Amino acid sequence: MARKHKGPIRPLGKGEYSMHLELSDKEALISLLDQLRDSLMNGSTDENLKRLFPTAYHQDPKHDEEYQRLMRDDLLASRLQSLGTATSVLSRESVDDTTVLTAQELDEFARSINNLRLVIGTVLDIDESDIDVDLDEDDPNDQRLVLYGYLGWLLDWAVTAQLDEYS
Amino acid sequence: MNNSEVGPTTVKEPDVDGAVDTDRPWIVLVWNDPINLMSYVTLVLQKLFGYSLEKATALMLDVHHKGRAVVSNGTRERAELDVYRLHEHGLWATMQREDA
Repeated sequence: MARKHKGPIRPLGKGEYSMHLELSDKEALISLLDQLRDSLMNGSTDENLKRLFPTAYHQDPKHDEEYQRLMRDDLLASRLQSLGTATSVLSRESVDDTTVLTAQELDEFARSINNLRLVIGTVLDIDESDIDVDLDEDDPNDQRLVLYGYLGWLLDWAVTAQLDEYS
Repeated sequence: MNNSEVGPTTVKEPDVDGAVDTDRPWIVLVWNDPINLMSYVTLVLQKLFGYSLEKATALMLDVHHKGRAVVSNGTRERAELDVYRLHEHGLWATMQREDA
């Protein structure tokens, strides 16, 4: 069934998508992606990054240690690759703030937006009850919550744009 | 590794536990977390495993309501690959023996 796409990301057909974001939004996203890339490249052990490197063997610490030793670098490289693609897409010259991207680029963009949500959600200690809250503009955590909501909105449209391809 | 290479003369005793392990299937679990979007989890399951929208949605709802769902099974190597791909997409996935 064909879907109506009124969001910022829409399918164009033939494995291509358009993304319409204002320049200020793109710049803010690039800044966030850069910060995350820097943290990852610096080998930060920040607890807020823990969701980016989850446990694989939750019942077996010994095997998990071995798994992390073998796979962590690959996972890190994959994340850095996706962050680079997302930044490249957002930096690309656009017409009327609209950028064309491939399915692979959209996949990596969505993963990068999700990475940001995982980190910010961890900072905020998000739980299921945080969906509807009264916001205080002067509270830094509430500003992060607004950002978290924006990233969720953007990711949801990235998902919606891809649904027809997998249905 | 080339099997025709001359190996060491020391005979290594077979790893009985390892031999048993390879015969026992492994399962991959996705766990509920409050951050990942339900729509995103559904799409990732469709993408990575080729599941229909209906099956992926049912698994996602199991994750959401029951706390976890088994999304794939197979050999240990297969399960490790699936876990890795799920981690790449930001899902909280783990693996264990089926009867654990």
